[in-house]
Amino acid sequence: MVSIMSVNKHQQVKKRDEVFSDKISTRIWEETASDENPYIASSARCHGYEITDLVEKCSFIETLYLLFRGELPGKEEAFLLEKLMIFLINPGPRHPATRAAMNAGIGKTNPEHILPIGLTILGGAHLGAGEIESSMRFLRKNFKKPVGNVMDMLLKEAVAPEEGDWHIAPGFGSRYGSIDVMPGEMANGFAELDADRKILKWGCEFAQLLAPHQMGWLMTGLAAAVFAELGFQPRYGAGLFQLLSAPGLLAHGMEQSNKPMTAMPFVKDEDYVIEE
Amino acid sequence: MLSKNKVVDTALWDKNRNKIYSKKGGWIIGKGVFSHGYDMMNDLVGEVSYMQVMILNATGRMPERRLADWFEAVHICLSWPDPRIWCNHIGALGGTMQTSTVAATVAGILANDSRSYGTRPILEGIAFIKGAMVKFNQGLSVKEIVEIECSKHGGKPYIMGYARPIAKGDERVLALEKIADKLGFSRGDHLRLAYDIEAYMLEKFDEGININGYVAAFLSDCQFSSSEVYRVFSVVVNSGITACFADVCDRPADTFLPLRCDDVLYEGKTARVLS
Repeated sequence: MVSIMSVNKHQQVKKRDEVFSDKISTRIWEETASDENPYIASSARCHGYEITDLVEKCSFIETLYLLFRGELPGKEEAFLLEKLMIFLINPGPRHPATRAAMNAGIGKTNPEHILPIGLTILGGAHLGAGEIESSMRFLRKNFKKPVGNVMDMLLKEAVAPEEGDWHIAPGFGSRYGSIDVMPGEMANGFAELDADRKILKWGCEFAQLLAPHQMGWLMTGLAAAVFAELGFQPRYGAGLFQLLSAPGLLAHGMEQSNKPMTAMPFVKDEDYVIEE
Repeated sequence: MLSKNKVVDTALWDKNRNKIYSKKGGWIIGKGVFSHGYDMMNDLVGEVSYMQVMILNATGRMPERRLADWFEAVHICLSWPDPRIWCNHIGALGGTMQTSTVAATVAGILANDSRSYGTRPILEGIAFIKGAMVKFNQGLSVKEIVEIECSKHGGKPYIMGYARPIAKGDERVLALEKIADKLGFSRGDHLRLAYDIEAYMLEKFDEGININGYVAAFLSDCQFSSSEVYRVFSVVVNSGITACFADVCDRPADTFLPLRCDDVLYEGKTARVLS
């Protein structure tokens, strides 16, 4: 039964004494108001550096790293981040997120919605941004352990799905029933860039042990490993993955936007099966 | 067709190439549009409520009208036109940016996929009350159930479905109780247990049940799974966001809570020069 106390509680809703901040606060960006108008910024600094100086003296990659990490990267960090950005620039026209953007394009969706549509679908937990944080946590937790022990533990505890691909660990598994070739090759290349890339090297050893099971690196695992190597916090991983994949989504979506609707397949009635 | 090097079994994907299998229904051109066996234009339009169709599409089951009316009441309870609410705030910011109505509303809906408020906590709310019912049936007391849950949070009264941010008490619980009575719903085992837990929470912590806890218990009694409820409520905050968007969009751009440069507190590194 609902008690009298309960009814009273909900009839007399009271404000809590929570103290909210008076202002938004940030450690990232500082704007200085112009003398004439307090709403207009006359200068802006990113983690202390004048934006105009960054424009003049830094690359986009360096500025991006600064924005998230608070310091400019060393040469090796900037190089690795740039290589990952190139590798992730396009999930490709078969990826569901790209296809969502293409579908929006061909459907004549407003151009400003095409990228958010693709990015939203890219948020998925299967080969999308939703897998990055858990993959980063997996790598950070295990890369100091003997890779064979981790493998044995996973084979004992992880449960394969009845059908479809198996991600035995976040960022590692099969793609269409076999090893995804390109992320594995790229991971080997990245691991050789610098002797100190312990997470990438551990991931490559782990992928080798997975190979007899038709599994290996996935794109998400590779991205997670590089983000972890560069010191990004796991919670940033999802958004970074979306950011780096965004150009391809937009390019493919826009490519379709000037074509007629008939330029993409519409599944035939005989291939549309309503199951009982 | 097999590629010449193909050695991997790709039958699962081959079966689905260029073919859609649907357990839901679809448009059979020239014959009609079907959802779970219903002819939508003849069986549903004008015959059932939109909310009944929403639940049918999300769960595969056609609910009775009164249950759909109760679901609709929950949507009203979660669609406040107050732009201080986080998801509504996003709608309002879309308005001040002169974003499209759809984009602003969808952005707000996306924001309510949050672990703190909105739709997503219903997953945890249902998991809690169903788990509590199992423990209760195993012989644990309400006090013990609460203590186990609170022990996960250092003894603090953090139980999904109880207490709420900003305010104490939840006027929506009474509104939904009233509509449930009016529609002739009786209280099931989960809801009775939820209120027993509330009684203990009130006594011990001065915290009551919130709309999540009430809805979770009510729908557990109606045999809904948490994923079904999450799907039905995917756009539960929709209308409040649109309201806040519309209010702001009809005013001059950039006038919704405009910030002067000194309205933002900078706490970062002091000015430095690139070497």
